[in-house]
Amino acid sequence: MSGIGTGYDLSVSTFSPDGRVFQTAYAQKAVDNGGTVVGIRCKDGVVLGVEKPVASKMLVGGSNRSTYPINQQTGMGIAGVSADGRQIVNRAMQEATQYKGFYGEVIPGYVLSERIASYVHLFNLYWYVRPFGAALLMASYDSEGPQLYLIEPGGTAHRYFGTAIGKGRQSAKTDIEKLKLTELSCRQGVVEVAKILHTVHDEEKPFELELAWICDESNKEFKRVPADLAAEAEQQAKAALDEDMDS
Amino acid sequence: MFKAALHSGSGKPRRRATVSSPHKPAGRKLLEWRGRIDQHFGYGSSEASRSLYLEDGGQYAALLQAELEQPVSLGTTIIAASYAGGVVLGADSRTTTGNYIANRVTDKITPLAENVYICRSGSAADTQAISAYVQWFLQQHAVDLDRHVSVKTAAKLAQTMVYQNKNMLQAGLIIAGWDKQGGGSVHTVPLGGTLLQVPYSIGGSGSAYITGLCDKLWRPHMTQQECHEFVVKAVTHAMARDGSSGGCIRTVTISKDGVKRDFLPHTRVPIAYGEMQQPMSVGA
Amino acid sequence: MTAGFQFDLCNRNRLLESKGVQGASVTKTGTTIAGLVFKDGVVLGADTRSTSGSTVADKNCEKIHFIAPNIYCCGAGTAADTENVTGMISSSLDLHRYATGRESRVVTAMTMLKSHLFRYQGYVSAALVLGGVDFRGPHLFTVYPHGSTDALPFCTMGSGSLNAMAVFEAGYKDDLTREEAVELVANAIKAGIYNDLGSGSNVDICVITKGKVDYLRNHEYLQNKTYQRRHPVTYGKGTTKVTKEKIIPLSELTIQDGDATAMDTS
Repeated sequence: MSGIGTGYDLSVSTFSPDGRVFQTAYAQKAVDNGGTVVGIRCKDGVVLGVEKPVASKMLVGGSNRSTYPINQQTGMGIAGVSADGRQIVNRAMQEATQYKGFYGEVIPGYVLSERIASYVHLFNLYWYVRPFGAALLMASYDSEGPQLYLIEPGGTAHRYFGTAIGKGRQSAKTDIEKLKLTELSCRQGVVEVAKILHTVHDEEKPFELELAWICDESNKEFKRVPADLAAEAEQQAKAALDEDMDS
Repeated sequence: MFKAALHSGSGKPRRRATVSSPHKPAGRKLLEWRGRIDQHFGYGSSEASRSLYLEDGGQYAALLQAELEQPVSLGTTIIAASYAGGVVLGADSRTTTGNYIANRVTDKITPLAENVYICRSGSAADTQAISAYVQWFLQQHAVDLDRHVSVKTAAKLAQTMVYQNKNMLQAGLIIAGWDKQGGGSVHTVPLGGTLLQVPYSIGGSGSAYITGLCDKLWRPHMTQQECHEFVVKAVTHAMARDGSSGGCIRTVTISKDGVKRDFLPHTRVPIAYGEMQQPMSVGA
Repeated sequence: MTAGFQFDLCNRNRLLESKGVQGASVTKTGTTIAGLVFKDGVVLGADTRSTSGSTVADKNCEKIHFIAPNIYCCGAGTAADTENVTGMISSSLDLHRYATGRESRVVTAMTMLKSHLFRYQGYVSAALVLGGVDFRGPHLFTVYPHGSTDALPFCTMGSGSLNAMAVFEAGYKDDLTREEAVELVANAIKAGIYNDLGSGSNVDICVITKGKVDYLRNHEYLQNKTYQRRHPVTYGKGTTKVTKEKIIPLSELTIQDGDATAMDTS
C-alpha cells in the first residue's frame, strides 16, 4: 500500500496527502483477513453464517461464539477480531435497552444500525484510540420486516439484501447474487449459506460453521439455527460440494 | 369565614344593599356587606371602599388575594375510549382557581403529535409543561424515525416525566391516539406515574361520579359514532354532578383517517336528571 | 435521565424557608387588569393603585408594561415581580429581534413567560394579561404565577378580576369596533376600581392594532382631588394692611471692620 513509511499511517487523526486515513483502512484489512461471514435476507427472515477457523485440535467445539442476540428481534455476527466485535455487541445491547427504557418500544433496526455506526466512528477520530478490527452483520426483524445491515470499522452502516465479509467475501458475494432472495425461505437459506461457506473455505484447514437466524420459524427471535437443521444443511453443503468436484 | 359571610348575605333582600352609608362599624358584618357590594352591579363610592379597606385592616383584600393565588387547576372530567379502528377523547372545559372559574372554554385535549393527543387533569401549569416537553421529545423522535411516533412511546415519555418528578407535579393524564402498529389505543398515567394500557379510561374529579355508568356503557368493538356518544354521555353526567367540571364538551376522534375535533357548546349539552331546559336565547 | 425539568431553585427556596429565612415583604398590586380582542386588534386595560398591606403605596402607578413594539402586558401580583419579569422577557425579545430581524410573536413572549414562571413554581408572583398583534393577527393570553396559560377572546386578572369579568360577560361580542372595545374595557376596569378594595385610582388603556400602538395613560382620570393646591402661593398687594413705612437707603449704610475676639474655649 502506497504511503507506508511516510508516517501518514501512524495516526487515525491525520489524513494522507491523497485523502485517506490509513489506520481506518488497516482496520478494514483486519476484517478482510478474518473468517468469512455471510448474511442473506430471505422472504421470511435473515440468515447469518460465520466460518470459524479452528486453531487447535484440542479446542472444544462451540466455544468462542461469533453470533450474539442483542434483543429479542435483533442479532449480530462478528467478522474480524472477535474481541473488538464483542465490545460493539455490548454497546448495541446498551443502546437497545436504553432506547426501550426511554421510548417504551423496541429499537428499530435502522436506528440501532446508525447508533452503532456512530459509536464505531468515534474510534476513527482521536489519536489516543484505534479503530475496531471488526465488522458486524446485524439481522433484525421488526414491524418493517426482516432487515440485514453491515457496520464497518470506518463507521458506515449499509442495508443489504445479502452480503459477505472476510477472506472469502468475493466469491461468496458472487454466489449470493445468484440466489433468488425474494423467493427463498430461511430454511432453504440456511442450506445456501452453508454451501457458500463450504465453497469459499480452503480445503485443508478445519473450520466450524456457526449458523443463526431470525425468521417466522424462530418466532421472530434471533436464535442459533436448530442443531438438526444446521447438521442437515452442512451435510447437504458437503454433498453439493462433492458433486461439484465430481463433475 | 369570607365564604360563609358571602352566602349568609344573599339570604337578605338585596335591594337594601346600598352604598349610602360608608360609616358602618367594622366587624364581621362588614365582610357580609362587602359581599353585597360585589353583587351589586352599579358603581359604589370609591371612598366607601377605601374606608372599608382601612377599617378591616386589609382582611378582605387578603382573603380575596389568597383565593386568586390558588394554583390554577383542572378540577376536571376527562375520558378516552377505544373503538373498532380508533379512539375518542373527551373533556369538559372548566379551569378553576379555588372557587373561581378562570377559564370556561378551556381546551384540555392537547396534541402531543399528529396522531396522539393527551387529556390533562390536575395542575394546569404542570400538565401544560409536561405536554410541551413531550411534544418536543416526540418531534425529535419523529425526525429520527422518519415516520409517525407510536402512542405507546408518547405515553411512556409522559409517564417518565410524571414519575421522575412525582414530588413536584400534580398531573393525571390520559394519552390516546392511533398508530399503524397498535391501532387505536388508550394509556393512562395517574398521579404516582404508573403507565397502564386500557380499553378506556376516565380521569379528574368528575370521574368519581361516572365509574359505574362507564363500566355499564362501554363495550368493545363499538362504532365510531357509538363511541362518540358514549364519551359525550359520560362527560355530561360527570358535569351534572361534579361542581368542578362544567362548561362545554370537547372531543377529539383519532383513527387511520386522521383527527377530527368536535365542540358541544354548553347550550347544547344534553339535560341530565334534575336539570332544567336551557332557555332559548336570542340568536341561539 | 431526569427529563427536562429543573426544580433546584424552588427546592433552594423551600429549604431556606424551612430554615426560617423570611422572604421580604413586598408591594402587591391588588389589581384589576383586563384584555379584549376586537375587530382589528387588542385592547388592554389596568387600574393604577399599588398597595403595601392596607396602605395605598402609589395612587397612579403603571401596570401596562412594554414587552415589544407590538406586544404589551398587564401585570398583577407582586409589583417587583411583574415589573422585572416583563422587563426580562422584553429585553430577551429585543435581542431575539436583533438576531432574527423579525417582529416578535406574542406566543414567543407567552412561552418565555410561562417557562420562567413554571421554573419558579409560583414563587415569582406575576399574574399577567399578555396581548399583542403579530403577522398572524391579534393574540390575547392570561399567564398565571405557576406558569399555566390560557388563550381567550377576553380575560381579566387580579383581585378585581371578578368584577371586571362580570362586565365582560355582559357586554362582550365578537368583532367590536375600536371605540366599543375601549369603552367596554374601561368599564370593566372601573368595576374593579369602584368595587374591589385592592384596585383604585385611574384607568390606563393600551390599544394595539397592526403596526400601531396607542398607550392611553390615564384614559380616565377618576381620582381627581376635590381641592387643587395652588403653587406657588402668591398674596396680592394689600392682603396685609400697611401701618408704618420707613425707608433706609443702602447707600447710606457704612460697614465697620472690627477686631475679631477669640472665642473662650476654656
